[in-house]
Amino acid sequence: MSEHTVSTVDEIQDGERKLVEVEGREIAIFRLDGEFYAYTNWCAHQGGPACEGSVTGTRNAEFDREELETDLEWCKEDEILNCPWHGWEYDIPSGDCLSRDGTKLPGHPVKVEEQEIIVSL
Amino acid sequence: MAQTSSHALADTTVIDTDVHITVEEETIAEYLDEPYRSSILDSPHPVFPSSSWDQRMGGKIDDHFSTFTGPADIRQFQSDFNIDYPIINTFEPLGKFSQPDLAMSLMRAYNDLLMDRFLDDYDFLGLAAVATQKPAEAAEEIDRMGDEDQIVGIYLGTSGEYPPLGDPSNDPIYKAAEDNGLPVVFHGNGDEFMFDFPHHNKGFNNYFEVQTLGHPWQQMATMSSLIGEGVPAKFPDLDFVFLEAGIGWVPYMMHRMNKIYRMRRSEVPLLEKSPEEYVRDQFYIGSQPLGEPNGAEDMKRMIETLGADLLMFATDYPHWDFDHLEELDKYLQHYFSEEERQKILYETPVEAFNLDL
Ligand code: FES
Repeated sequence: MSEHTVSTVDEIQDGERKLVEVEGREIAIFRLDGEFYAYTNWCAHQGGPACEGSVTGTRNAEFDREELETDLEWCKEDEILNCPWHGWEYDIPSGDCLSRDGTKLPGHPVKVEEQEIIVSL
Repeated sequence: MAQTSSHALADTTVIDTDVHITVEEETIAEYLDEPYRSSILDSPHPVFPSSSWDQRMGGKIDDHFSTFTGPADIRQFQSDFNIDYPIINTFEPLGKFSQPDLAMSLMRAYNDLLMDRFLDDYDFLGLAAVATQKPAEAAEEIDRMGDEDQIVGIYLGTSGEYPPLGDPSNDPIYKAAEDNGLPVVFHGNGDEFMFDFPHHNKGFNNYFEVQTLGHPWQQMATMSSLIGEGVPAKFPDLDFVFLEAGIGWVPYMMHRMNKIYRMRRSEVPLLEKSPEEYVRDQFYIGSQPLGEPNGAEDMKRMIETLGADLLMFATDYPHWDFDHLEELDKYLQHYFSEEERQKILYETPVEAFNLDL
């Protein structure tokens, strides 16, 4: 594993992302609630540029069996990355795909040292 | 999975998950109150509609149907076709009736007839007819029939159903079925194609085209609606049985729904796993009418894809496109282990219908 300085902290505002190239690979750095996350820009579905997709919330639901009512809830605002090719949803903090168990964005360790963001590949 | 062996049919206990009784209009009228009794017996305008398709091609295909009306006929069928346990239904799809109260009355009448003529004095197993036009009343009927030991499921025609069967308006029906421990059995129907697909019914020029598409389109619409509305997630202890569309459509639907789900999950957020998992965990499929590939290996692969935990044998007797046991068993005997064969012919339906045999 090798470490790469990819950005300064100031370059990425909270809720924003930055795409960089490291060792010929496209890597996206996301900043969310003060934390940084790094993923390869590659969707587990068909290899689309997942990290370039829109960032939104998503919908969850609960069913009340007594009342027979479904409660729809909009949640995780700004935490869900949608692949621009076919809309697969990824949870930014964990990298988990929401619609396919055990599937993740390829993630990389990130640390901040002296205002610099360092990704290990 | 493959293992070639030979088994004597006489040694195998066989459950047939789809046996229809034929009920004459005058007979069901006896079980109806007024005004519906008279509207069947006395009205010059038939209450039971016909699509006008000639299913039997002027008599080229024999009629086994009209005379299959009593318990003795079922006994004879059992002996002729090596069926140990026929699961009987009253056939008539009730979704096509526009008058909600007529549909509710027919539902209760068919169930009364089933008990009175077939179950009270014989040890047959039966499915309770359900009409969806008034879901709360249907739920009451499920509670009533749920007390009967020989009733092992509820029976719903998938033709003429509007809105589609997964619609939340039908949830009282699914809740009642789950509460009573009864699986929901969905049955497709060719003659009722005109209610679901009127443009195609009018446009096609022969019944070949209608028969090819009628049952699978209805069953696909139903499965899509159930999964899309999250019905198996809402009622995790409820099982669903699909009859009369063969088996090839099921892998197609599982895979297609998986694909669409992964692109549109947030639209169907009640689902907590892939559509294929719901189908494999809570759905069962009757074999009839088994497709006829030109190469037997193709059917072997299809049965393998479905698996012995999903697949159950069905004849659809006495309807004109019924399957003899041999139609499925020739593949089971040639390609599958005796354990898998036993599952498909006996253990899987025992599990699906919670049978205590
Ligand atoms: S490639 Fe990402 S959703 Fe298809």
